[in-house]
Amino acid sequence: MSSGGRGGKRRAPPPPAPSGAAAKRAHPNPGTPQPPPPAAAAAPGAEEEDMMDEDVFLDESILAEDEAALLMIQRDEALASRLARWKRPALPADLATGCSRTVAFQQLEIDYVIGESHKELLPNSSGPAAILRIFGVTREGHSICCQVHGFEPYFYIGCPSGMGPDDISRFHQTLEGRMKESNRSSNVPRFVKRVELVQKQTIMHYQTQQSQPFLKIVVALPTMVASCRGILERGITIEGLGSKSFLTYESNILFALRFMIDCNIVGGNWIGVPAGKYRKAARVMSYCQLELDCLYSDLVSHAAEGEYSKMAPFRILSFDIECAGRKGHFPEPTHDPVIQIANLVTHQGEGQPFVRNVMTLKSCSPIVGVDVMSFDTERDILLAWRDLIREVDPDIIIGYNICKFDLPYLIERAEVLKITEFPLLGRIRNGRVRVRDTTFSSRQYGVRESKDVTIEGRVQFDLLQAMQRDYKLSSYSLNSVSAHFLGEQKEDVHHSIISDLQNGNSETRRRLAVYCLKDAYLPQRLLDKLMYIYNYVEMARVTGVPISFLLSRGQSIKVLSQLLRKAKQKNLVIPNIKGQGSGQDTFEGATVLEARAGFYEKPIATLDFASLYPSIMMAYNLCYCTLVPPEDARKLNLPPESLNKTPSGEIFVKPELQKGILPEILEELLAARKRAKADLKEAKDPLERAVLDGRQLALKISANSVYGFTGATVGQLPCLEISSSVTSYGRQMIEHTKKLVEDKFTTVGGYEHNAEVIYGDTDSVMVQFGASTIEDAMKLGREAADYISGTFTKPIKLEFEKVYFPYLLISKKRYAGLYWTNPEKFDKMDAKGIETVRRDNCLLVKNLVTECLHKILVDRDIPGAVQYVKNTISDLLMNRVDLSLLVITKGLTKTGEDYAVKAAHVELAERMRKRDPATAPTVGDRVPYVIIKAAKGAKAYEKSEDPIYVLDNNIPIDPQYYLENQISKPLLRIFEPILKNASKELLHGSHTRSVSISTPSNSGIMKFAKKQLTCLGCKAVISGASQTLCSHCKGREAELYCKTVANVSDLEVLFGRLWTQCQECQGSLHQDVLCTSRDCPIFYRRRKAQKDMAEARLQLDRWDF
Amino acid sequence: MPVPMPMERKQASYSNLDERYGIQGEKYQGQQYSHIYFTRLHHMRNLLHALVPSWKPQLPVTTVLGLEEGKDCIIVGTLYKHMKLKPSILDEYSKERSAIPLVKPHNFMHPDDHLVLEDESGRVTLAGAIPPAAFVTGVVVALHGKETSAGNFLVEDVLEAGLPPQTALSCADEDKYVVFVSGLSVGSGTFNPLQFQLLIDHITGHLGDENEQTIASNIVRVVVAGNSVHIAPRFVNGQTVASKDQSRIAEPIKELDIMLTQLVASLPVDIMPGCQDPANFSLPQQPLHRCLFSGASTYNTFSSCSNPHQFELDSVQFLGTSGQNIDDLYKYSDAKDKLEFMERTLRWRHLAPTAPNSLGCYPYTDKDPFLIESCPHAYFVGNQDKYETRLLEGPEKQKVRLICIPRFSESGIAVMLNLRNLECSTLSFSTSFDA
Repeated sequence: MSSGGRGGKRRAPPPPAPSGAAAKRAHPNPGTPQPPPPAAAAAPGAEEEDMMDEDVFLDESILAEDEAALLMIQRDEALASRLARWKRPALPADLATGCSRTVAFQQLEIDYVIGESHKELLPNSSGPAAILRIFGVTREGHSICCQVHGFEPYFYIGCPSGMGPDDISRFHQTLEGRMKESNRSSNVPRFVKRVELVQKQTIMHYQTQQSQPFLKIVVALPTMVASCRGILERGITIEGLGSKSFLTYESNILFALRFMIDCNIVGGNWIGVPAGKYRKAARVMSYCQLELDCLYSDLVSHAAEGEYSKMAPFRILSFDIECAGRKGHFPEPTHDPVIQIANLVTHQGEGQPFVRNVMTLKSCSPIVGVDVMSFDTERDILLAWRDLIREVDPDIIIGYNICKFDLPYLIERAEVLKITEFPLLGRIRNGRVRVRDTTFSSRQYGVRESKDVTIEGRVQFDLLQAMQRDYKLSSYSLNSVSAHFLGEQKEDVHHSIISDLQNGNSETRRRLAVYCLKDAYLPQRLLDKLMYIYNYVEMARVTGVPISFLLSRGQSIKVLSQLLRKAKQKNLVIPNIKGQGSGQDTFEGATVLEARAGFYEKPIATLDFASLYPSIMMAYNLCYCTLVPPEDARKLNLPPESLNKTPSGEIFVKPELQKGILPEILEELLAARKRAKADLKEAKDPLERAVLDGRQLALKISANSVYGFTGATVGQLPCLEISSSVTSYGRQMIEHTKKLVEDKFTTVGGYEHNAEVIYGDTDSVMVQFGASTIEDAMKLGREAADYISGTFTKPIKLEFEKVYFPYLLISKKRYAGLYWTNPEKFDKMDAKGIETVRRDNCLLVKNLVTECLHKILVDRDIPGAVQYVKNTISDLLMNRVDLSLLVITKGLTKTGEDYAVKAAHVELAERMRKRDPATAPTVGDRVPYVIIKAAKGAKAYEKSEDPIYVLDNNIPIDPQYYLENQISKPLLRIFEPILKNASKELLHGSHTRSVSISTPSNSGIMKFAKKQLTCLGCKAVISGASQTLCSHCKGREAELYCKTVANVSDLEVLFGRLWTQCQECQGSLHQDVLCTSRDCPIFYRRRKAQKDMAEARLQLDRWDF
Repeated sequence: MPVPMPMERKQASYSNLDERYGIQGEKYQGQQYSHIYFTRLHHMRNLLHALVPSWKPQLPVTTVLGLEEGKDCIIVGTLYKHMKLKPSILDEYSKERSAIPLVKPHNFMHPDDHLVLEDESGRVTLAGAIPPAAFVTGVVVALHGKETSAGNFLVEDVLEAGLPPQTALSCADEDKYVVFVSGLSVGSGTFNPLQFQLLIDHITGHLGDENEQTIASNIVRVVVAGNSVHIAPRFVNGQTVASKDQSRIAEPIKELDIMLTQLVASLPVDIMPGCQDPANFSLPQQPLHRCLFSGASTYNTFSSCSNPHQFELDSVQFLGTSGQNIDDLYKYSDAKDKLEFMERTLRWRHLAPTAPNSLGCYPYTDKDPFLIESCPHAYFVGNQDKYETRLLEGPEKQKVRLICIPRFSESGIAVMLNLRNLECSTLSFSTSFDA
């Protein structure tokens, strides 16, 4: 189901595309006095994250076994048996009864719950404790819930010097007292379980001694970490030591992640529980087939290698709901019923779903290959869906915008209908689904409001969220996403039709069901096509975070997870210094060499630094633990030969003294990537290849996000000394490269031409060597890369990758060229920063720019490009442009009153509401509009109009607007480096002289106008109604008839092609096309063809005298 | 020197049966193409159901929805062919222009193409004994087979409606000829006025010896099957035409009119529109407007007909098109020659099954005029690459003369059919010395 623009169920608008592009690094202007910090410049990891544990207490009033069973029995037995067909395979006998077999499973989700300590496993403990629950699937497809006991939450503080064992126990008591005070409502017998003296080292700054005493404070429940940290940070009075406030270490780590780190578990890996080390749960709490209790120390975590790199056959449910909205309103759970739910369940790794069904309100005609289940009441549908979830037991739930729309809608609807037993969708018997409003804010992804629906034990994967995170698209509607990735248009049914279809008969409801099923299938196909499961599981494995974090959290948690793991190995602890986020600490960003704009008709070689920022961090050993602050530098008296002073003036020790852990993490990531790439070459099996490719991609992204993590001033562990050093080295290298190239490749140096660096950007340098063939440019490029690489500290390496020829450099970050990696044939046309995809541009701009670039670069036909522009402008002025090319689309995010400034699309939505509230766009829809000719002095926002309305009423569009506000800027940008007087030539030439404007059929004056027939040849008014031509044109009948009939014939061609295409998309020949997808490029043309056809036939009929 | 006896041209009774192809009363009112498929399926299903008892009486007939896995049955529905290479209007909007221009194949077939059968209840993918290459979208057939575990329908046997019934031919004892000519392309580079003049002179009896003139006097009618003129596209693409060029648009039409006037002065002529003529594009193409032929249209022997064109001459039933239906089959399916395509359309009982899918067609709401209800005795298509003919015999003793008429401007060949015995021969004209 796409978002916006349609839908009987419509969604809240997808938020605008992330404003800071998913750029890898900071690129402020060179020499700008106060460039933004990398955080502001879209560095990954620069996001605010609330890392808070939330204790969930096990509900003791567990539904009795028989009560739960009753829930099923009340329900239709036929339905129950229908659903039971899709159960998981039965457990083998020995697993079902005994504990004699080692159990291995792939875990997908880890959470914890507060319950009584396990008496058998932990005989010495009592009272409430955190029990971790690991949900997973075995190789045979059995679902498992493994309850892990004995793992306790803890954190560290530095031990004040001179503290003896007695002091520690006193400190313990004081802390316990303070905890009791601030947690009065809690009935835990002991808050602080233990305080231990341990030898650790802080990660911050280079230290000469190996370790220092730290206090490890173990608390009873995970939430107490935060409250205990608060007490210690604010200060605590200790007998004999006075009042003291403490810096805490590792006190902001989510409990589940803490557990994973300590047990060496990474997201999505395989876990083994050895035979005899586990108990079958005495009281079954979950709907999983197998429920175990064990100690955390008995778990075996398997590295993702060999057998354990494979995927278990997860069950993936893809679903979509339809609601019958009221005319003119966004569907609200308080009013609008859920009328259909389509479900598809697929085993991971299989091409076809094994369950396809649709649940409908009221009867529905059968559909081939689909189980149609019809119900009389909404209550029955909702409960049937709940039962389906329970019987099918999906591990992953996917859909399009399910997190913000479908799931909350279902739950809120059930609340409205008072179906209290509905939200039992999780795997825990009495666990109700919880809905919370959350705000996710990230520098990279922007602020997102969303609903957090917790379904215990099942991973939710919303394809819309994934798309918004991973791809920069002009539109995120399901239609345009599937057009983009699957290459097909999706049928779109207007919401006003949805209610009509529902209120029709079983045939019309079948029609709706087919549509709903398609919407449920598309997310699954996107998931498969984009290898999401493989890529995300690999990302979880590489970075060590649970899979659910990947969608719901930003980048920094991934780096933090790796940092914590590495630190643990090195006996280092990480202080909890939250960034202040003031934005005051800024430093200079990356360098962009001045672009020498122009059209280059000689090959331009591009020299790229491979993984520049990670390489710099490795080459110069930049890390938290190698940084020497200025005051320490004097104190420690370190030998200068073992120090590096970075261009930004920071001091870091060399690896001989202390190897940094960031460089180590990076080395491991890059080495692992190399291995994965080598394995990928060897691998034959497509599934194995998918895993490896996902892995190498995850490794690359992870390596690149480390730099951003250090520069995130609002992040978990900012260290601007590191990030500013990285960029300063980067700048130095670009300058260095430019100098070396221009010094060495000269005629004086024995080369044929003087090389010239025409542009340089963050990690690449464009060089014109002067060679005229691509082959020579490639040879020189390779030579330069090798020569310059030799002058850098390893592993920094300059690589020659490609040649641009020809190359159109417009300004910095804006260029286009043909991309060559071998001299025989160019790979593609590469364009950067030239707006071909911006969504507030109409399609005409995109087509024009693309076509011009093609003509200039590929055909090398500049006059042709100029002519093309002139023809297009002339067509625009003569009103010959297809209307769909002129449509501009904007999302309506709030109602008119809430907008401070009047905006075209908002005003239009208001006007449309006055015309017809049923079809007017509502909040969440995308509003397509065109700019029409209006009275002189009309404001821009008054000139917007609905394209359909424009078509129906022959309203003239405003070609000047399109010329000046849409196409002129992008065009001039392209042509200015090529053409003298580009503006005069292109925008003011003779081709702009003829203008044709259609006469609106609805304007006031037209009501008084009398229609008169005119001669088809010369437009002279003719009196006789039966005549076609005036007496003057009589002799030209044949010629004029030819023209009229040619017009009809062209329209017929178009009509046929458009309407049969829509039949094709819809996938049926015998049913009418209902689609009203305004995202589809042919929607307006189709409508127009229909209208024009009728008119053209009338014209033709005039000849039948 | 004896004065030759004046020869009398033979006559044949003619009735025009084009009424079903007229669209005067029809209007574009937002109707879609689903109706035409629906009507077609409805009509054909009745026919096929009647045939099933004699084909496979033991098998149950069901719908796509009623299929049960592994159970032998018969289903009737419209075929739809999934084609990878089929051009789509959406391609115009594809994100990236490919650097290498696509090679335009004469034919859009691909090994991955597959067939789907659709009825009102749904679709099922077909496998087994039904070669995708021999079928096209829009054909209605009955299939015997069973549903596989993968949800496909494994076809064992295909039932087509077969040749429609035919009216009996009354025996004639004298030779009467009909001449077919197509692709004159007056105004194009390949048009040779002299060649056409030779044809006219031959037909009107101004050429050859007495023997030839006798044969010419037996010609009772001329059928011009499409693409008679060629108008440069730049004149009619909607752009403004300079006034000096205005008159040039109609020049080829005037030339054609002069030539046709010579013909209609001596015998009846049927002229059909083709895809390049000044007529509408969608099938059925409506008759060329009389205002185009200011000379010829004054004769009552001139009749401007629709495409497809159906008529009866001395009880011989004729059916023909200007070639679009067969050309489209050639793009979307395979056969050993064009005659086989023609034969298929008769067996499918549908003149243009690919309409509206890939062949433009008027969106009828209540009928499908291209259904062939009775078997013609002569079935011709114009504008083909070469002359081909065959006498097709049906299981119920139907006899159909199939004719591919070559483009005259390229081949110089017109086709002559004898009404007495449905024998076919060519008239070939060459103006070069070495031929």
